[in-house]
Amino acid sequence: MYMQGLANFIDDFLGGLILISYALVVGSLLWSAFILRVWSPGFAAHESVVRRAVALLRAGAIALAVTQGLKLVIKAVVLASVLGEFPADAYIGTVQFQAGLIRLLLSLGLIFVAGQLQQTPDKPSSWNLAAILIVPLVIAGAWLVHGVGRFEDREQLMILTVLHQFAAAVWFGGVAQLLSLWYMSRQSQEAKTLWPVAITRFALLGVSSVVLLLLTGLPLAWTYVGSWDGLLGTGYGSLVFTKILLLMVALGFAYLNNRAGRLWLERRQTEGLDNKVPHYIEAETFILVGTLFIAATLSSQPPSVDIKELTATVSEVTEMFAPRMPRLTSPTHEQLLAGEPGRVAVVDKVPSPAATEWSDYNHNMSGIFLTVMALVAMLSYSKRFEWARYWPLGFVGLSIFLFFRSDAETWPLGPIGFWESTFGNGEVFQHRIATLLAFALGVLEMRARTNRNARQLRYLFPILCAFGGILLLTHAHAEFELKSEYLIQSTHTAMGLLAVIVASGRWLELRLAETDERYAVGGVLEGKIAGFIAILAMFLIGLILLVYREPLF
Amino acid sequence: MHQPIVSRRTKLVALLFSACMLLAYGERPWAHAVVTESSLTKNPIQPNHATTVVLFFNSNVELPLSRVFLVSKGDVYHPVQIEKGKKQGEVRIQVPALDPGDYALKYKVFAADGHFTENVIRFHVSEPR
Repeated sequence: MYMQGLANFIDDFLGGLILISYALVVGSLLWSAFILRVWSPGFAAHESVVRRAVALLRAGAIALAVTQGLKLVIKAVVLASVLGEFPADAYIGTVQFQAGLIRLLLSLGLIFVAGQLQQTPDKPSSWNLAAILIVPLVIAGAWLVHGVGRFEDREQLMILTVLHQFAAAVWFGGVAQLLSLWYMSRQSQEAKTLWPVAITRFALLGVSSVVLLLLTGLPLAWTYVGSWDGLLGTGYGSLVFTKILLLMVALGFAYLNNRAGRLWLERRQTEGLDNKVPHYIEAETFILVGTLFIAATLSSQPPSVDIKELTATVSEVTEMFAPRMPRLTSPTHEQLLAGEPGRVAVVDKVPSPAATEWSDYNHNMSGIFLTVMALVAMLSYSKRFEWARYWPLGFVGLSIFLFFRSDAETWPLGPIGFWESTFGNGEVFQHRIATLLAFALGVLEMRARTNRNARQLRYLFPILCAFGGILLLTHAHAEFELKSEYLIQSTHTAMGLLAVIVASGRWLELRLAETDERYAVGGVLEGKIAGFIAILAMFLIGLILLVYREPLF
Repeated sequence: MHQPIVSRRTKLVALLFSACMLLAYGERPWAHAVVTESSLTKNPIQPNHATTVVLFFNSNVELPLSRVFLVSKGDVYHPVQIEKGKKQGEVRIQVPALDPGDYALKYKVFAADGHFTENVIRFHVSEPR
């Protein structure tokens, strides 16, 4: 059962990776066409720069082939594990398998063509072939989306979704190419020369993709969500809402980049363009990756319009975030264990108040750990509180708390032994890993902040926050009790969104501080603001946990 | 030569952490194809009579890749026959004659867009009047 759950999860996680790979392929081609202008006779971009762009296109094609192939295999594993047999003919006959296989084959073709382009980047016929392969690759996506299973407006929804994905791909792929060009510009004069030109040229492509995103996204949201209640009271709607919020943050970074590009055009001012814009683009990448994973998760959620009677009201959702006293007492082990058989039964299911209170206590106490850590982290910005830089130790305390509280029936508090429970039960195994992660994160971040020889470790925290945020966003609860589980999910989605903000804020803080060491441009202040926003977001995560109350179901 | 932003060792640790997080969050309930209408709400099952329960899903369902089980007291599972109905999204389930009591239908369906859904519909068979 655990392996089935894991396979299911990986299947959905692969959806996000497929979108990223697809965006790298499609965005790179558009980048080559409009920024590098490879179809123009005697194109201006240097061969080395074009080769670099092709390398990213090829990497995207390889990633797409691998992830698409894995998805076909994982889906088969899920089928075999859920059904207890593997009906191969029926699986091969599905439109999902066929469209996925076509994408896989087209990706393999693109790997080959990109390989040729790396040898001869000025060969128009190879570029034409790449474009010819990418057109069906984009179209095949129509049979891999929500719309394909709909009864009404099926074709229109399929077309709109494909255009929506295409626009997102142009944006993300272009941003990835910008980053790649900037890294290259640190060693290559050709790339350095192109950098400001690319920023200004990308503005038009970026704005066009955002317009197309909105033109296709609005009717899709209207069709699938349909109402304000649907937007705020269902898993699907809340993910759409979160996606909109993240896009607004990404647009903010895009505006800053665009403004720096315009300043260069008007006054040939390169200061911000060389030392701040690259880091804004890095932070934008964090946000866009999160957005693409949300897009992938949306495809596995029932659209809000289909579950009107299971939609939570706005007041029910706000109640989940309402201020209240945290639960500081917990039911006993005996009370918890007594309610478990009824709680997990299919027939004669009896909700367990003890299980709910147990969970509330765990969440609320974790909230206390996080809010205190965030408050101490805020103090660490003042030189008067040197000791406050030890705030990551809170993660170690949190891990010890989780070790004792996660699984009441196992060692050290319950009768089942440590090894027996860890490797004999998937859920316990997951909790043990989560505990270990919190402990290790605390130790490593502590080292990174206090030991100058371990400065490289500083980047671990934002990277892992981004990953954790993405997992929270994709770890959507929506099964047997859609409404109750959505109410839980609403808190997890909010925490996922905040975790992505923690990641991009902290990343920006670290990167702008480095820039300041090199250029002395006052990036530290902006970086500190970004870092403080990150800590504020962590504080808000703590507050959500502090007032968490699980619905009884 | 510029140093890479993130060293190889940090990348490795991040990768290890990420893999662990993937395992830690691994269990993910699924739901896309949801039941929008069920005959059980309008026509409760009569005791000791075989019945066809009709479910309507919000999405097309791949029947050869779907299974439905009748669950009786003590969570005992019995597979039941399913067939496609005439209307879009309609699935007909052959439920055998049942004694009065509590039951559930557990379905595992593969939607046309490639997502699996497992769900439970609980119902009660009343004593004959």
